[in-house]
Amino acid sequence: MIKTKVITLIAFMLFAAGSAFAAKPAPAIDGFAALDMPYDVGNAAVLRWPANPADTDDTSYVVYVSTHETGGWLEADRFAAAAKTGKDIELPFWAWNGSAAEHAVKIELNNLFGESLPSSVFQFRVTAEKNKKVIAESAVVSVMPVGNWFRLDRLNNLILLIVLIIIFFWAVSHAKRKGLFIRRIAGLDAIDEAIGRATEMGKPIFYVPGIGSMGSISTIASAFILGEVSKKVAQYDSQIKVPHYDPIVMTVCKEIVKQSYMEAGRPDSYREDINQFVSADQFSYAASVDGMISREKPAACFYMGYFMAESLLLAEVGATSGAIQIAGTDVEHQLPFFFTACDYTLIGEELYAAGAYLSKEPMLLSALKVQDFGKLIVMVSVFFGMILVVLGAKLGWTDFVQGLLHLFKGY
Amino acid sequence: MKLIKKHIPLAIVMVTGVLTLVSYYVPNKLSVNYIETLSQWENIVVAFAFLLGLISLFFSHYNKISRKADGWGYSVFVFVGFLAMVLPAYLSHGKQMTDAGLTPLGWSFKFIYNALSGTMFAVLAFYIVSTAYRSFRIKSMQAFVLFVAAFILILGKVPLGQIIWDSVLGWTGQGVSDVIEWIMQVPAVAGKRGIMIGISIGAIVTSLKIIFGIEKQYMGKD
Repeated sequence: MIKTKVITLIAFMLFAAGSAFAAKPAPAIDGFAALDMPYDVGNAAVLRWPANPADTDDTSYVVYVSTHETGGWLEADRFAAAAKTGKDIELPFWAWNGSAAEHAVKIELNNLFGESLPSSVFQFRVTAEKNKKVIAESAVVSVMPVGNWFRLDRLNNLILLIVLIIIFFWAVSHAKRKGLFIRRIAGLDAIDEAIGRATEMGKPIFYVPGIGSMGSISTIASAFILGEVSKKVAQYDSQIKVPHYDPIVMTVCKEIVKQSYMEAGRPDSYREDINQFVSADQFSYAASVDGMISREKPAACFYMGYFMAESLLLAEVGATSGAIQIAGTDVEHQLPFFFTACDYTLIGEELYAAGAYLSKEPMLLSALKVQDFGKLIVMVSVFFGMILVVLGAKLGWTDFVQGLLHLFKGY
Repeated sequence: MKLIKKHIPLAIVMVTGVLTLVSYYVPNKLSVNYIETLSQWENIVVAFAFLLGLISLFFSHYNKISRKADGWGYSVFVFVGFLAMVLPAYLSHGKQMTDAGLTPLGWSFKFIYNALSGTMFAVLAFYIVSTAYRSFRIKSMQAFVLFVAAFILILGKVPLGQIIWDSVLGWTGQGVSDVIEWIMQVPAVAGKRGIMIGISIGAIVTSLKIIFGIEKQYMGKD
């Protein structure tokens, strides 16, 4: 009887000890909060909790997400305890107040659940692990991500835009009829010479608008230049050929050239095949235009617009055919090819200014002043920014330097 | 008439431009949907415009062949090339590869299209040489600076050049790769950034001119 009682007592003690061991909860991660990610479309959440100074190098955090009230947890992120602090969220100081003494994790829910999110409310929890054992765990918190109405992080960008718009309207409203100095652009002054040469030689002019779509600023600028060039071609009664890569650009250019011929008083000289679609494939286009240049030996070639590898293929064939060549592009890594193979090259902004320069319309010319003001703003900002950053780095003002760099960064 | 030809198109450009500009600062689903819708419309317009382009291409080359214009034989290849890709595509139901291997379209793509594209791209190497020769004719101080920079870059990229550099200028303690890195990272990047800043501001101003109807040459004049 006594033996039975002793065995029962021991069994009870072992059971009680086991239960107590199993039920011992992991320490809590306090201050865990899930928030809607600010300035986004509504498909991300940001989780924040204080960093634990006791975390060691082998401690890691695992973030779980679920769309259910209970269970259904999905691992959303896993990272070392030293990583992902409040400072690592890529937002400027005026839009985000992050500290190195806290963890902040951005969870892109669309990456986990697809573009159409399965729920409007998401549950989150985080665990701290060491050697694959959970050593701390947070409470479950929920968040409802919503789309925001303003990208506060792009405030610096917006302020610069507003300043430029104000200068733009000021410049346009003060458009002068006379006396506005515009520096000479040799490449544009040479257009008359090129067209005159073509007329004398009785050979055509090739105008290549590049491989950009109508959404590209350089193609739009190229279309403006084409208008002025074709007007002069019509006046001189010369010939122009415009091979196209993009059918939409072709359609727009057809209207522009037709209009130019009408303005020049030569609608009878306009032909539908001036603008011709060649190919929507880069190298097929280059091969075809090269073939045309080789066969027809034009007196002048214009390459204006967006160009990639075909820039040299075209310009080199034009150079060997003996044509006078004028190029212009805003693709800076293609500029060296044009510099070496063409007689004149318009660099980036000169291409944009060309339409105004050639048309000589006061409003358009005044708008060029805005470009100068913009460059002045950038130059002054770079000059003072450089001094302040160097000074701040020298004096150890890390936050000041970071803040200054945020001002000039795009988000 | 002026309302239809001038004012309505300008209003469409302005409203679309302002909305697109605003959507850059508004992250809401509405602006995302707006941009997606615009993109879809653009694709539809491109599809129709492509058909227009194809008609223009065939028409112009057909004219050349029928008039027996100079080089009309090349125009025949436009139709031959078109059929060489379109017929196999039709026969292969647009698939390049099946379990049995290459389809006729896959064959045409691999052995005609890729081969021709590769050839055109390879020609670039020869053009670079002839362009380099032309740019190395020193006519001005700028051309001399360009020549020196290019010469160092070429020297540093070949083992023989590195050996020459080390034996002649090794005493300076600077390897040719260090000099190349400096040229690429400092003067080249400085020049490139200057151009890029000008381009960016020029692009903003050009966009504003179009959005606010100051630049309307693309519509023709009154």
